[in-house]
Amino acid sequence: MSSVEQQPAQRRVVVTGMGVVAPGGVGTDAFWKAVQQGTVSLGPVSREGCTHLPLRVAGEVRGFDPAGLIEDRYLVQTDRFTHFAMAAAELALADAQLTADPNAPFGIGVVTAAGSGGGEFGQGELQRLWGKGPHFVGPYQSIAWFYAASTGQISIRGAFQGPCGVLANDEAGGLDIFAHAARTIRHGTDAVVAGATEAPLAPYSVVCQLGYPELSLASDPQRAYLPFTDEACGFSPAEGGAMFVVEEEGAARRRGARIRAVVAGHAATFTGTDGWENSRHGLARAIQGALDDAGCTADQVDVVFADALGVPAADQAEALAIADALGPHAVGVPVTAPKTGFGRAYSAASALDVAAAVLALEHGVVPPTPNITEVRHDLDLVTGHARRVPLRTALVLSRGLMGCNAALVLRRDTDERP
Amino acid sequence: MLTDPVTFDELATLMKGRAGLSVDPQAMADRPDTPFEQFGLDSLGLLGIVAELENRYGHSIGNEPELCKTPGDFLDLVNDQLTAGA
Repeated sequence: MSSVEQQPAQRRVVVTGMGVVAPGGVGTDAFWKAVQQGTVSLGPVSREGCTHLPLRVAGEVRGFDPAGLIEDRYLVQTDRFTHFAMAAAELALADAQLTADPNAPFGIGVVTAAGSGGGEFGQGELQRLWGKGPHFVGPYQSIAWFYAASTGQISIRGAFQGPCGVLANDEAGGLDIFAHAARTIRHGTDAVVAGATEAPLAPYSVVCQLGYPELSLASDPQRAYLPFTDEACGFSPAEGGAMFVVEEEGAARRRGARIRAVVAGHAATFTGTDGWENSRHGLARAIQGALDDAGCTADQVDVVFADALGVPAADQAEALAIADALGPHAVGVPVTAPKTGFGRAYSAASALDVAAAVLALEHGVVPPTPNITEVRHDLDLVTGHARRVPLRTALVLSRGLMGCNAALVLRRDTDERP
Repeated sequence: MLTDPVTFDELATLMKGRAGLSVDPQAMADRPDTPFEQFGLDSLGLLGIVAELENRYGHSIGNEPELCKTPGDFLDLVNDQLTAGA
């Protein structure tokens, strides 16, 4: 984004719609209620075919029925991760009151991030392949497993023919989609439907995750995912995600849209997989880059949504990265990780953090980090109860298991320009 | 083996099961030349219906049915193929 720094004022990028499907609830109201109260939605793994596996605790989206939001013909040809994406996109578009303009079919684009694609759908078709034979594999297997499935189906259903893309870019992809959408908008598109969803809680997908040394195999939902503590033992995975409508500010104002937040700055770095201590430098660089991109000083950051992996070396690296990048401000700024209540949904984890950050800015409330009591790092981690403070600027952090780091700066909309 | 012809009713059931489409079989029977596209059926959906019929009847019905554009043409071709193969 640095190449367009000369003209950010001409095409400022804003969030005008949000849709959330999370273990704590479907819709931003239910999600915010759970997040603000620090409700623990982590629970025993109950999905069919998963209960005998060593993963005991996860954040499952329960009682989700996409049929009320999405037509059957899309549901039969897509995986659960796309059901989440289409439902969240529908909610976000309704929130933004945005539909495709038949006279400007290229005015709206779509970008999603995905970490693993449609594992559950793919497993079913592969079981038919080896159980019954090639002729029993349905043709929708060709599209449903694919990382880009959600982008494609959202685009087809909404008739959004603008620039489309998918970022298969590790957990950080959930923040990188905002940079991608902003670039698309700066190149002339008025709006982008952007976000990330994941559905990793199916047998094949869970078995794949068992290879991650960072995965928590603990069995107590209150103790399985405890980042920044002495008891940190990895992360609990989750499903769900969030979709957003991201627009050029002028276009949004002309149509009278409610501006929920300003996408002020982003930066991404890569530090590989040779040890979590390496992420300190990369994450600090990403934070610095995002602040520079936003024209924001360290002391203007009012709240940090941490990556919070729950692995001691990674937690230490993150605390040091925040200190490196924010300087003396790091010890005083409220830091939170609502995901300890509902789990870490891979690329959708950071998208859900963005949804929580936008809601936090709107309400002037920093939600708590559930289940955490004793913090072993020099951070002002908000635990126990939500904290009411004036908020103008939020910093959201993400790191991926494969070495991607990203930071995003969001600002509350005000008439004053940065 | 004698094979009963595939009907518009069965086609509607297949369209529901394989492609998630609710289609009135009588509407297809009354206007069999209405393109599949107008019922919302795409080429992958039709391919799934062909595979289902082949699995059900136990033999190939060739590559032509999946290229049909209308329910009328599709059923004519499928029933010809099934009779020929019976």
